[in-house]
Amino acid sequence: MNLIEALEILKQVGPEDVPPLRAYLACGFTPLHLQTFLAAHLRERLPQQRVELKTGLFGDLAGNVERLQGSRCDILAVVIEWQDLDPRLGIRNLGGWRTTDLTDIVKSAKQAVARLEQALRRVSASIPTYVCMPTLPLPPLFTTSTQQAGGCELQLRQLVASLATSISNESSIRVLNAQRLDEFSPPQARLDVQSELMAGFPYKLPHTATIAELLAALIQNPVPKKGLITDLDDTLWAGILGEVGTEGISWHLDRHTHLHGLYQQFLGSLASAGVLIAVASKNDRALVEQAFERKDLIISKENVYPVEVHWARKSESAQRILKTWNIGPEAVVFIDDSPMEVAEVKAAFPEMECVVFPKNDYPAMWDLLKRLRDLFGKDVISEEDSIRLKSIRGASALRESWDVAGGSLDDFLQSADALVRVTFGKQAGDGRAFELINKTNQFNVNGKRLSDAAWMAYLSDPATFLMTVSYEDKYGPLGKISVLLGRVQGKVLRVDSWVMSCRAFSRRIEYQCLKQLFEKFDAEEICFDYQATSRNGPLQEFFTGLFGTPSTTDLRFSRAAFCEKSPSLFHRVEEVVNG
Amino acid sequence: MDEMEGRLVRCFSSVFSDLTTEQIHAASVESLPAWDSLAAVTLVAVLQQEFGLQINLIDLPELVSFEAIQNYIRKRNIVS
Repeated sequence: MNLIEALEILKQVGPEDVPPLRAYLACGFTPLHLQTFLAAHLRERLPQQRVELKTGLFGDLAGNVERLQGSRCDILAVVIEWQDLDPRLGIRNLGGWRTTDLTDIVKSAKQAVARLEQALRRVSASIPTYVCMPTLPLPPLFTTSTQQAGGCELQLRQLVASLATSISNESSIRVLNAQRLDEFSPPQARLDVQSELMAGFPYKLPHTATIAELLAALIQNPVPKKGLITDLDDTLWAGILGEVGTEGISWHLDRHTHLHGLYQQFLGSLASAGVLIAVASKNDRALVEQAFERKDLIISKENVYPVEVHWARKSESAQRILKTWNIGPEAVVFIDDSPMEVAEVKAAFPEMECVVFPKNDYPAMWDLLKRLRDLFGKDVISEEDSIRLKSIRGASALRESWDVAGGSLDDFLQSADALVRVTFGKQAGDGRAFELINKTNQFNVNGKRLSDAAWMAYLSDPATFLMTVSYEDKYGPLGKISVLLGRVQGKVLRVDSWVMSCRAFSRRIEYQCLKQLFEKFDAEEICFDYQATSRNGPLQEFFTGLFGTPSTTDLRFSRAAFCEKSPSLFHRVEEVVNG
Repeated sequence: MDEMEGRLVRCFSSVFSDLTTEQIHAASVESLPAWDSLAAVTLVAVLQQEFGLQINLIDLPELVSFEAIQNYIRKRNIVS
């Protein structure tokens, strides 16, 4: 995006009938083109929202952040430069670069960092905050030649690195990745000396555009993919298993097939972060089982489920895997070395990200790993991430055991030894609850998503409540699987959002949720902000089963009606106070 | 209006979005309240991108009207 394009985007009138996204750009320099580019990128990423971008006072970064406390602002972007730590680290100030000044510069930078850190922590408690650490070169004020890093310079860099590390631990602060910025904006092409001196704006235009684009991407993170389906031969390992046998396949440096080892290692990393990994391979099942017994395999076979090995079409395998995982194709990446197989799966699932594995192409492999990291990247790894695969295996075991046992659902659920844990604590930092609201489709009362800012604002409203539900039974834990947001209005509960993970279906947990709600608030009636969507069929079925086809305008039911319709519930229930 | 003039009008239009083409041709620092120092710097940045040239900000006092900017660009033989 160039400046003219950015200005053209900003000329377009945004939607008027929605509340604006009130963004604030805090920087110590004249925001000028950065403000233009950031507003334009946010507009592009959030076409359904009206973006209002405000800025603060020149030369007072920390003050600008401090003054935001308690203000009506939805998101905060902070762009720090060296002169914000001490004006002498910029070029507009002539406070002195004498050797005797250097120690004082470091000292005052320490104080500035401490003040900024405190301000960021405070403001981020109520406003989601996105921070770009200094991107410009330090001026040549040190006594060493420019190829030598001196003590003062290293201390300053350490200060900034410590600040970034420290604030990145805050759940509502995201720090822009300097390595990513370096890829798009070469460090030597960032500082515009003339613009800084004459207009107080230190960046060259391409650098400005890059910072704005990456900040907007940081603010509006795409929803991470949930699963990856991989081929085996010439993908997970080098070689055709049916031709070279289990000892002939490789992923090692000495066989020049190390790229496959890297790929395995990467999949292992994804699996450890809760990403589902499955195999779709046209192969001999017995041979594949033998291959997965090899002790030197980098990815553990325990991390791969299900394994679809047969000679049928790959799209059939993908279909079965999606069913087992109970997720949609848009949440999945398919990787195969055969362009034909990739095309066949893509044709069957246009929403699926389908990628040809770049065997023997080293740069392309590097790019693939980075692309995958972007597709699956997430802020934090939750407890649920670590048990996801286990719970899917448990669900399969549950289905199989029900199929084998026969009998009624009541008998089956009674023997499941289920425990439902209900929590009524409003924790804004509950990443799993926020994630569930923003990625659940099938059991979702209205399909509405919440931004970081809307989530924090909702929870800070004293009239609202947040109920989260965790579940486990003898087949394993499912973790936190349901989230309910609402308000108490006397004896009536208004439910604004209710989602439940598809992994938790068929256990009557949804009935237990409502029962707990009625009991907790001694409510006589619950009304729902309900909206039928193209994807919330399971939720619609649930309501229909209870009270007939739901009305889209005013969906409500009484405690008495619910108790009459609710089936027997066999869960043990524990309430966790304040999360 | 030749090609260069058309591109210049587009630059002005992106910075001063409310102006008609006629008003752009007559635009000057004196006649246009929106033409403040920030707008001037933005306009220069837009011109640099559009025409692929380096404009020294020292020349800003010269660049006070549509006509002056048009002459500035032509004088440098940047655009024929």
